[in-house]
Amino acid sequence: MQRAQVTTTQPSLAPARKRRGWRRWTALVARGALALAFIATLLLTVTPTGRAGVRAALILPALLTATEPPPLLIAGDPIRHTQRSIASQDGPVYLDIYAPTMPPPPIPGTRQGLLLISGVGDNRGVPQFVNLAQSLARSGVVAMTMTTYTLMGYTLAPATVDAVVQATLALQHTPGVNSRDVGIVGLSAGGALGAMAAADPRIRDTLGFVLTFGGYFDATNLLRDMGRRALMVDGKLVPWQPDPVPIQALANTIALTLPGADQSLIYSGFNTINGLSLSPADQARLSPAGQAAYHLLVGDEPDRVAANLAALPPQGHTLLASLSPSSVVAQIHAKVYLLHDQSDIYVPYTESRDFAAALTRLGHPHEFVEFSIFQHVEVKSGLGIGQTLHDGWSLYQILVATLGAGA
Amino acid sequence: MLILSLIWLGLGVVIGGVALAARLAPARWGRLGWLGALALGAIAALAGGWLGSTLLDRIEASLVAVWVSILAVSVVGLLARRQHGMPTVE
Repeated sequence: MQRAQVTTTQPSLAPARKRRGWRRWTALVARGALALAFIATLLLTVTPTGRAGVRAALILPALLTATEPPPLLIAGDPIRHTQRSIASQDGPVYLDIYAPTMPPPPIPGTRQGLLLISGVGDNRGVPQFVNLAQSLARSGVVAMTMTTYTLMGYTLAPATVDAVVQATLALQHTPGVNSRDVGIVGLSAGGALGAMAAADPRIRDTLGFVLTFGGYFDATNLLRDMGRRALMVDGKLVPWQPDPVPIQALANTIALTLPGADQSLIYSGFNTINGLSLSPADQARLSPAGQAAYHLLVGDEPDRVAANLAALPPQGHTLLASLSPSSVVAQIHAKVYLLHDQSDIYVPYTESRDFAAALTRLGHPHEFVEFSIFQHVEVKSGLGIGQTLHDGWSLYQILVATLGAGA
Repeated sequence: MLILSLIWLGLGVVIGGVALAARLAPARWGRLGWLGALALGAIAALAGGWLGSTLLDRIEASLVAVWVSILAVSVVGLLARRQHGMPTVE
């Protein structure tokens, strides 16, 4: 009888025990998941760094895909786009403001402001640039883009630095924006202008940070690299072929210091294939200073770069110095973020290396990241997953750091 | 805000379901206790989402919805168990 009882009750108890054990484990796992989710979401919403991390995580896909991702469109703020212009030493400054339609939330009570400078050319309608401004605005930032006639005309002028300062002041005085939480984000030549504005006494003590992406540090060195069609990397010359756009921008800029006849000749040689090309007869009509500038720009005398630089008019040297962050780097007080792509054919990445080295020498707080997923300031297509993850993580960290103060 | 509110409700239902698996719903709620847990999670998430979008920003509101919902289902479950010394729904 006892044997029979054992054989009948044993199989029915075992599954019940198993079920109870399984339920206990399920409950433990579920409680662990709830605890983790609670701690993670609490930290992400109550700490400034956590909130910056959330914003960065939603903005990053927008930067990498050049489109606003659905989560940002659904969860982000509705935004408003307005335009206005202000006066500066460089003439009117055209501002496009992308801002959330809602007033700043009680926590933190104000919004962060970012001034975006796109560099030379009229980029106000370029989809990637508009996408950047809109994505920032949807994440709660007041994003202001700026340009001037000088920049739209592919020319760099010292007066444009005043335009950047005026735009920064305008952003700092925008209702709802924390005046001490305004940063400058300069792309390409806009990076150099932003860095020089960051050294201006009117804003240098109130500016949150300055970020340059694909910017130059020293205009003379940029012209030297252009003249020898090579970069000095770790003591070795590495071939470098610039895009026509920076050639024309530098040509427009330097031509302002040349005789009028030289200017007309140089402008007549612009093309979209190699940037600048003149017939031997036209070259012979240039003044000695004009010929030196021409050979530096077209890179056909790589062995005479030093002599050609020396042959530029004194005003040319003064202009190049006044357009270089290297001449004012010691006067920058805000933290500096330097981003550059290693395959940049607009501005050599060695420019940002030089900038970082100068900041290191000065003991100035800065961060420098070299990428390989961009071409100048635009995301390349057909990237590998490993490359995208590596550079995406670096970009995410920069986003968290720059958005952190405003979160 | 309608889409976001629906998302918050959905998040709350999921959290209520996980709370059931975690045996946080009090057995005192009876045979329909599971429905109560789901409803509590959803209502708390909706309230948390609106609170988050009012105090912080819309972009952080969904995360506030999550932790408020977890807090609600956990606290209600624990309080009910302590007050009545009753087991939880299995």
